[in-house]
Amino acid sequence: MFWRKSVPKDELTVFFATDLHGSTICFKKFVNAAQFYGAGTLVLGGDMTGKAIVPITKVGADSYVATDSGTRITLESGSALNDFLLKVDNKGFYGAVLTADEKDELDRSEEARDRLFRRLVVERVEEWIDFASKKLAGSAVRIISSPGNDDFFDIDEVLKASDIVDYHDKEVTDLGNYRILHCGGSTVTPWDTEREYSEEQYAEIFDGLRDKIGAPGRCIFNVHVPPRDTALDECPKLDSDLKVVFEMGNPAKMHAGSSSVREAIEDIQPLLGLHGHIHEGRASIKIGRTTCVNPGSLYSDGVLQGVLVSLSGEKVSSVQMLQG
Amino acid sequence: MAGSDSGIFLRKASGLVRSASALDVFIFNIGLISVGIGVGLLMYYGAAYYPNANIWAGSLFACVLMGFIATGMLMWSVTLPRSGGIYVFGSRSLAPWLALTLSLVEITAWQAMCAAAAYWIITLGVGPALGMIGYVGHMPSFVAASDWIVSPWPLFLVGSAILVLSWWVCIGGMKRFLLSQKIAFAIAILGSALLIGTLLIGSHDQFIASFNTIMTPYIGADSYAAIIASAKEKGWGATEFSPLVNTLKVSNWAFLPLIGAAFSIAIAGEIKSVSRSQGIGMLGSIAITGLLWVTTIFLANHVIGQDFIGAASFNKLEANGGLTTPADPAISLLAGVMFGSPVLTALLSIGIIAWMWLWIPGMHTFAVRAMAAWAFDRIAPEPLGDVSPTRHTPVVGYTVSLIVTVVMMWLLVFTPVFSAVVVFIMMAILAWSIILLAGVWFPYTRPEIYSKSPIANQKFLGLPVMSVYCFLGFLAAQFYFWNLWFDPIAAGHGTVQLETVGVVFLAGIVFYFAMAAYRRTQGIDVRLAFKEIPIE
Repeated sequence: MFWRKSVPKDELTVFFATDLHGSTICFKKFVNAAQFYGAGTLVLGGDMTGKAIVPITKVGADSYVATDSGTRITLESGSALNDFLLKVDNKGFYGAVLTADEKDELDRSEEARDRLFRRLVVERVEEWIDFASKKLAGSAVRIISSPGNDDFFDIDEVLKASDIVDYHDKEVTDLGNYRILHCGGSTVTPWDTEREYSEEQYAEIFDGLRDKIGAPGRCIFNVHVPPRDTALDECPKLDSDLKVVFEMGNPAKMHAGSSSVREAIEDIQPLLGLHGHIHEGRASIKIGRTTCVNPGSLYSDGVLQGVLVSLSGEKVSSVQMLQG
Repeated sequence: MAGSDSGIFLRKASGLVRSASALDVFIFNIGLISVGIGVGLLMYYGAAYYPNANIWAGSLFACVLMGFIATGMLMWSVTLPRSGGIYVFGSRSLAPWLALTLSLVEITAWQAMCAAAAYWIITLGVGPALGMIGYVGHMPSFVAASDWIVSPWPLFLVGSAILVLSWWVCIGGMKRFLLSQKIAFAIAILGSALLIGTLLIGSHDQFIASFNTIMTPYIGADSYAAIIASAKEKGWGATEFSPLVNTLKVSNWAFLPLIGAAFSIAIAGEIKSVSRSQGIGMLGSIAITGLLWVTTIFLANHVIGQDFIGAASFNKLEANGGLTTPADPAISLLAGVMFGSPVLTALLSIGIIAWMWLWIPGMHTFAVRAMAAWAFDRIAPEPLGDVSPTRHTPVVGYTVSLIVTVVMMWLLVFTPVFSAVVVFIMMAILAWSIILLAGVWFPYTRPEIYSKSPIANQKFLGLPVMSVYCFLGFLAAQFYFWNLWFDPIAAGHGTVQLETVGVVFLAGIVFYFAMAAYRRTQGIDVRLAFKEIPIE
């Protein structure tokens, strides 16, 4: 790769970002981070898919209505529509231009909304793969990824078919002189999301993969859910109405990580743990000899939060949190 | 599918939470304004040194200008809704070394104020309260305790113990911190209500009669009038400035605690619906504070008399041998004297002490959040951002903050260098004004970020609203910087103060470049933390 510095064989520089939730601007920055930060490996944590569709209803020849941050707006030209679609894209939402009849059907039918969501999610992932393939063409850089709890199963096929993405879940693969354990999903959430596992299921997954990881000092955990009761899994406490609980003006906190993941890290002691899921849990910690990081996420602001990690043999030589 | 909400379709996905109440931000900010300290400073220094000033008008003027500053900071908060205060804003709009320096200057100021709050708890709270309780209740042991606790070593040791207590509260986790703040806030509010109630049911004649009865053994007959006459003899009341100028100057004392109204910029990343919540929280806390101040000042002037408070405070502060109250003439203590009740005096004092205490853990936390932001960007040692795995709090950061504040307490007690602690707030105001000025240009210098702000399309006279409000905030901040600069009572610009400011600014610059050089040896380029990755 023309921008890649020559590094000794036993060294690895990884740029890790996660929870992009459909934000195209963040994904483009992620791909470009390889050159920008001089990283030889890109790891994209899970939750790459977005959470919302913004319906844009065509009401005239070149006139559309939509809702922007709670305010009803009218778009009076094709270029205004394109600007709005770009804005929606960058926030991680999916803009859908609809006729009035299509909008009515979506308002009425949960099934129709689900179909549309799955279609748009897959289309966005395909666009991203296309962008990454062109951008990283001719370089040795590939994107390593695994799913998050919010990712539809529909994306698995698309990502696995890609030449530029190494997509794995509940597997151990090779990464140069290192091995990387991939495990997506999360523990049970209040939102009943796509890929959730009980603590017992997580324990079983790690038990099943344990024999494949080789030397722990050369093993990287790419595990979406962070270890429990750490700075990486601290998030706002919610009430039964999913509203953030505030005390004396400060958001009350709780922990939403996995105790099975923590036990696995404590027991196996891999070299590095790459985690996400909790957007507020931006931190780098040590659990025994293991360095665990969660770069957090600010996808809705179009800001890419990531972490640049340099490995040298069985050592983590540097960890740098970045916002780009 | 989760369904439709606000014109968009949502699916079942984690993180879809509802917005927080503006009330939460209001409480966060009003706790850091310290209504009680404001009243105390205004009626103590204000009445003593600005004799022809209209104190309540001055405090309202400060509220209006602080409103402009808060609105400017609100624009930043809406555009960059991230926790970390001015460091976040500066690091995205100015050279990184300048952003760190401004943040360091700001944090130094709040640390100094943290030490000052512990110092004032003793010198303006506990000490005078013990003395006044002793005099009102005829208990000499309390008077002796009052004299002892304000002498240098006890003052330093007890003040440091207060800071250690704050550290213990903070490292104990959010639960302990919030419990402490809730208790202190409830006591402070009750204390303020009790003070207003006491002043409401009392009268000017009642105060004079009670004061004269209690103080005659210590001061002599007709003590009330004698104190005013004595102060006039010693020079109180003579001023070279017009009532308007002195009203503007006295507003400095209202402005200093009001700065807390914009402290929620430190938790911007944790607030949903930033625009509404921060707006109501910041401006609401200023409005309520202004209302409480005006009410209390009006009643105190009516019942106790501004002349009397000013005369007694002047003789006390100048230590000129003139007649004055045996303990500091804080209005809470004087209100207790009106009813001749040691219990009421104690309760009112506890209310004031609670307001002062609220500042300390809040300021510690503010500083630690900024230090964590520096550590994340690798321009400060990593341990400053480390969160204890057992306590879930940044214990190292809090410990560093404790050490700094204890050193400041020592300087405050034993040296004249920090006696004008307000100079640090001047520095912070200067730092804020630079950030606000950067906000004027931000829509033009960083359009790629500003275009994503919810206020990006809002204009005023064809200009981006961020530019307009940040400019108004900049003017307000500059006004107070110069108002403090030319007010030797509140801050001034003596050689020692200027040198202190210079040293802190220089320390920030040296610190940045030293850390950047050190990180280079580790293979880390700190500049990367501030750069935007290209999109295409």
